[in-house]
Amino acid sequence: MTKVIAITGKGGTGKTAVAALLIRYLSKNDNFLLAVDADADTNLPETLGCEVVKTIGDAKEALQEEITKPKPDHPDMNKESILQSKIYEIIEEMPGYDLLVMGRPEGAGCYCYVNNLLRGIMDKLVVNYDVVVIDTEAGLEHFSRKIIRNVDNLIVVTDASRRGFRTAERIHELVDELESNISNIHVIANKVTDANRDKIEKLAGDLKLDLIGMVPLDPKVEELDIGGIPLSELPEDSAAVIEIEKIAKKLGF
Amino acid sequence: MADEFPFEISPMYEGERVRKDGMFVELGGPKSMGLELVRAAEMDAIVDDKVTIVGPDIKDMEEGKTYPWAMVFNIGGELVEPDLESVVERRVHDFVNYCQGVMHLNQRYDVWMRISKDTAGKIDSLEAFGQAVMMLFKTELPFIEKMQATFYTDEAAVKEQLDNAMDIFKARDARTKDLHDEDVDVFYGCTLCQAFAPTSVCVVTPDRVALCGAINWFDGRAAAKVDPEGPQFELAKGEVIDELSGEYTGVNEIAKKLSGGEFDRIKIHSFFEFPHTSCGCFEVVGFYIPEVDGIGWVNREFQGMSPNGLGFSTMAGQTGGGKQVVGFLGVGVNYFYSPKFIQSDGGWNRVVWLPASFKEKIAETIPADIIDKIATEADAPDVDALKAFLLEKNHPVVANWAAEEEEEEEEEEEEEAVAAAPMMMPAAGFQMPAMPMVSGGSGSGIKLTFKNAKITIDKMIISEKKAKK
Repeated sequence: MTKVIAITGKGGTGKTAVAALLIRYLSKNDNFLLAVDADADTNLPETLGCEVVKTIGDAKEALQEEITKPKPDHPDMNKESILQSKIYEIIEEMPGYDLLVMGRPEGAGCYCYVNNLLRGIMDKLVVNYDVVVIDTEAGLEHFSRKIIRNVDNLIVVTDASRRGFRTAERIHELVDELESNISNIHVIANKVTDANRDKIEKLAGDLKLDLIGMVPLDPKVEELDIGGIPLSELPEDSAAVIEIEKIAKKLGF
Repeated sequence: MADEFPFEISPMYEGERVRKDGMFVELGGPKSMGLELVRAAEMDAIVDDKVTIVGPDIKDMEEGKTYPWAMVFNIGGELVEPDLESVVERRVHDFVNYCQGVMHLNQRYDVWMRISKDTAGKIDSLEAFGQAVMMLFKTELPFIEKMQATFYTDEAAVKEQLDNAMDIFKARDARTKDLHDEDVDVFYGCTLCQAFAPTSVCVVTPDRVALCGAINWFDGRAAAKVDPEGPQFELAKGEVIDELSGEYTGVNEIAKKLSGGEFDRIKIHSFFEFPHTSCGCFEVVGFYIPEVDGIGWVNREFQGMSPNGLGFSTMAGQTGGGKQVVGFLGVGVNYFYSPKFIQSDGGWNRVVWLPASFKEKIAETIPADIIDKIATEADAPDVDALKAFLLEKNHPVVANWAAEEEEEEEEEEEEEAVAAAPMMMPAAGFQMPAMPMVSGGSGSGIKLTFKNAKITIDKMIISEKKAKK
């Protein structure tokens, strides 16, 4: 069975860094992994050290344009197979894992049909992998559109700020409203220092959130971030790397 | 499923991705040439189950490399005819994918395959693969009685096959473009839009694309075959009630069922009478302009106002939701290319207005004798200007004005005119293109004739007169 982990949270909390570190750990462990960047503000590829340019958004747009052309060249072409092919083509084959970027939001017009095709293709694609890690924005748009239907673990990344936790709370509410198939919701606190550690634990407790890990503020992560260097370059003994490993184990890996 | 093959065969392998790390070789694809072709052949020209390989076979291939690829299947059988070639060919994707460790993508001249190291380790020739695929074809499509396959991996041979196939595809496309409502027994229904337009009944026929523009008859056929319970499904056309307006018993039945009894008739090529429902996704909305007895169309991309003073979004808002709104109609752009385009209401001869950019986009489909007579926002920003334009160009609708006037004049001699002139109808309450005749108390009915008058009415209430006793 494929295990699907989605990582979300307020912008600036470091959710993409957490996702990248989780991908780095899980792909080393002989898991057949698919990393999905489902944030319109595509940062994951760069964080992973990949300069992906092609996205599902582009593929969808190209297909939409092709199929709503006044006079299609090949009216009997199988559009599902064309879209599937486009998507398989844009999957970036990284060492140890595959990477797929959702990309830009939809343009004007009706995407019901194309999204319906995409759902079927994603269903078939996801089962190829042992684990799928999705980096997604807090609005969870791809889940509300049911492009990705089942999520085993939804992880909300927050910093110590009250606002970060509010986002976590709101996502909880959103998940209930979406009626999507999201089994478990956890919180990872990021950029944790000795000064804010107790406060974070108390906040999580007050809000009844399942705090699954606390990633310490790691100067090395910041350093790489500023330099635009992928987080795969982070040494094994970095505090953040060690904490992510612990979290992965708690998730059953 | 089949023990005689060295690899497993099952629909569960559909969508299997062979990764670069696990790949033995790549056939065709973005970096090379890839072709698949199904051809009908005479029974005695086919050696059943035979696989011929032209070029390097698995055992001669180098790991990690990409080879050009063409696969040509010949099918024979009493019921096999050239028209079935493309239907059978679309299934190549399914059956090749059922083979474990074989990834197949795309179709026609864009085929892309990968064979995994695991599977390549179990076979030293593509023969087993070819036989597995043919076994699946003959099991799932029993009308195929005999089948043989030729695989090409030699560059020059693939190139030759590709050139040859291009002409075949071209001829096929020409044939599919020539398919019409009367040539088929089934249409397709689509319920994708029912999520927000619960009574929407989308009927997709060879001469009528779905309102969203995304689904044509062939897509309906492909989807219904894969998942008959899915959002696109087969709809038996039934008996023809009226060919011109496109009314069929099968469509009426499905209309009743899908709309929950809201509508029981749909004429697929009619604008005024029992028109197709409008979902909300439609690319273009048509609107009746009573003052000129013509129809204008505005596309989603057009930001301006149409001569009735309304823009796309306003009209779309009123028309959408899955209702039959007489006087408005949502369609897909492709419908303008249909030879049956609103044919029961005069077709192109009834079209009086289009946004300039849209008119230019679809210019090739507009009949030459009418194209210059259709106004745009540059010619006619409002109804008065439109009227003048149509008169000047002698648009076919102008003939109807004259006929109406004559009729009215004749009647005028017998009766006193009550009032006159076409009204500026606010679109909101606009339901019928012509005023319905309301029976008065006396039983003889009333007649309203407006001539050259400008009337502004904020609200008009027509109710039955209470009988006095």
